[in-house]
Amino acid sequence: MKTLLLVFFLGLLSLAFAQDQPSDPKRLPVNDKKVPAGVEDMLAIEAALKSVLPAARNATVCLELGQGSGSGVIISADGLILTAAHVAGGVAKDITAILADGRKVKCESLGLNSETDSAMVKILGKGPFPFVEVDKSDRTRLGDWVFSLGHSGGYDKDRGAGVRLGRLVKVADSTSQSDCTLIGGDSGGPLFDMAGRLIGIHSRVGTNLQQNMHVPIREFVRHWDDLVAGKFIGEGPFAEKPKKGTGFLGVGTEDSGDGEIRVTKIGRESVAETAGLKVGDFIVAIDGKKLKDKEVMQKCLKDKAADEKITILLMREGKEKEITLRLGAR
Amino acid sequence: MTNMKKMIPTTLLMLAVCMSSFTQGYETLESEYRSNGSLMHGLLERPKQSLSQFSAVIYSGRKEIAYGIVVQETGYVITKASEVTESSDLKLRIGATQYEPVQIVATDPAWDVCLLKTDATGLKVVHFADNGQVEQGTWVVTNGATTRRERWPQLGIISANAREIRAEGGAVLGIEIKEEKSGLEIGEIPEKSGAYLAGLRKGDKIIKIADQKITKRDDVAEIMKDRRVGEKITVVYLRKDKQVTAEVELMGRADTFGAQQTRNDTMSGDYSKRRSGFPRVLQHDVQGNRATVGGPLLDLEGRCIGMNIARANRAESFAIPVEELRDVISRLLTQAMKNKADATVAPR
Repeated sequence: MKTLLLVFFLGLLSLAFAQDQPSDPKRLPVNDKKVPAGVEDMLAIEAALKSVLPAARNATVCLELGQGSGSGVIISADGLILTAAHVAGGVAKDITAILADGRKVKCESLGLNSETDSAMVKILGKGPFPFVEVDKSDRTRLGDWVFSLGHSGGYDKDRGAGVRLGRLVKVADSTSQSDCTLIGGDSGGPLFDMAGRLIGIHSRVGTNLQQNMHVPIREFVRHWDDLVAGKFIGEGPFAEKPKKGTGFLGVGTEDSGDGEIRVTKIGRESVAETAGLKVGDFIVAIDGKKLKDKEVMQKCLKDKAADEKITILLMREGKEKEITLRLGAR
Repeated sequence: MTNMKKMIPTTLLMLAVCMSSFTQGYETLESEYRSNGSLMHGLLERPKQSLSQFSAVIYSGRKEIAYGIVVQETGYVITKASEVTESSDLKLRIGATQYEPVQIVATDPAWDVCLLKTDATGLKVVHFADNGQVEQGTWVVTNGATTRRERWPQLGIISANAREIRAEGGAVLGIEIKEEKSGLEIGEIPEKSGAYLAGLRKGDKIIKIADQKITKRDDVAEIMKDRRVGEKITVVYLRKDKQVTAEVELMGRADTFGAQQTRNDTMSGDYSKRRSGFPRVLQHDVQGNRATVGGPLLDLEGRCIGMNIARANRAESFAIPVEELRDVISRLLTQAMKNKADATVAPR
């Protein structure tokens, strides 16, 4: 009788457990054991990894901007990339992605969260690009087997993105830790479950080989729309917020009297010169905002930061002309 | 904690971020359940048995400095050359038995492998897999922790394409060349460089390299382009107006002149002193340190698919594939036999 009761009780418990976690047909059965029961289980992990690795690798990219490089992963056919905020470096930055096959494509960063190290980047070229499925419903649990990919130390075509296998060893709300060893260049790269679904993005490491930290996908999901919209979220350590008033265009102007701003001087080696502004141009608008005089224009530029992208509408020889440039540093 | 891209300014902040997120409540996996926890090692009976039979622990005095592979029952063991050649008091342990003295009897500089010999009989020799064509994602096992009686396994996977690892900075003679009026003169020449070992010295004047006359420094760069570590090049030079010919074995620039630590190096713990300039390697993700290199790379059946030859960094380790390893071993044994007559049987 006692045993019967106990069995019943356990039955109830496991039922409750099952309801708590929606069933996931793709979940690797070994994940529900605290440790693989034998070599067969290890081979099941290996087989799962091998079957999803090629597709996962095809979607893993190397992101280059400035001097450094990091990694990222494509999650849609039109080229949306998830990466780390400290790799993207800011909002609306020019980035080059190197695809698994070595093709280089131009990208621009969208939004980022400087507190959790998450960011989005968009490929500007036309797709379709190879991509992976994102586990937006957050089905991974502590102890699950996971694998990481990344272009450690930069892109190396002969090597490819290195794969590392491990388990999720710590799970907190906005950080996961695995024992897949990461190194510089892996930042922003993908962490996958054994069905090849994206569950996290590499962020940072500790000195201990087991301290490999990832941003969990739930953190991206939380701010998805803001990231797509190109917002700079938070004031954390992973990206520096552009400082207003640090931007510099490099033109001298005068009010022409009839509501137009005339360019009288172009600074040598200024961004204005590089972008092709000329003495005699009339500045009509910046970022779609009409400017009635010099003072308004200066006010408008004061809101901008160095490296921020602006679009200037000009009148040149009676014709409208649009120039897009990135402001220099004051 | 270390931010992996822009490390320096944010290091301290990073620590704060991690601490706060982990004190606010987290779940953690006990160490025995982790990828290299004791419970995983319990599944590796066969590799563990192989490690106790044919892997060797190499000591300098009492310090473990590398692992090795038994290649002949009469006491021949291969290991990573650059980790042992500077030690004078080598000992080794196979299973629970310690052996000494140990001599280095042959060396292959291109692969950085040397052959050790100690007095022993009836040792179990390495059991090779049919080939080293292992797919990415395949489990592999190497030497982990060691006690006096036991060898513990360490688990990982094959993590990238098998490939050549070109020498960091290219292959070099190991000389600094000064353009003097009297000709091209050798300036600095490190004592461990190929040129020094071949007899060249500071002040010698270089006339020809690889049968080509040289008159300026750029000529040397042109000749050295695309050369490999271990390649032998003829150098003709003048010393006190006497013409001398020497054969110089090339080494990696970083191995000869030293290399600047990169940011990735600083987050890698201790890595192998020589970690580039290998004709072809398998790459795996087994966690280790500089002293865990030199032993066998095993499959789950305990068969040897390669020899661990370098821990390149935190995330990347290299192994010589079994195909090339067999050749290296037979060359080393032949070389040793030239000197001694007692090496008789080739490894199986």
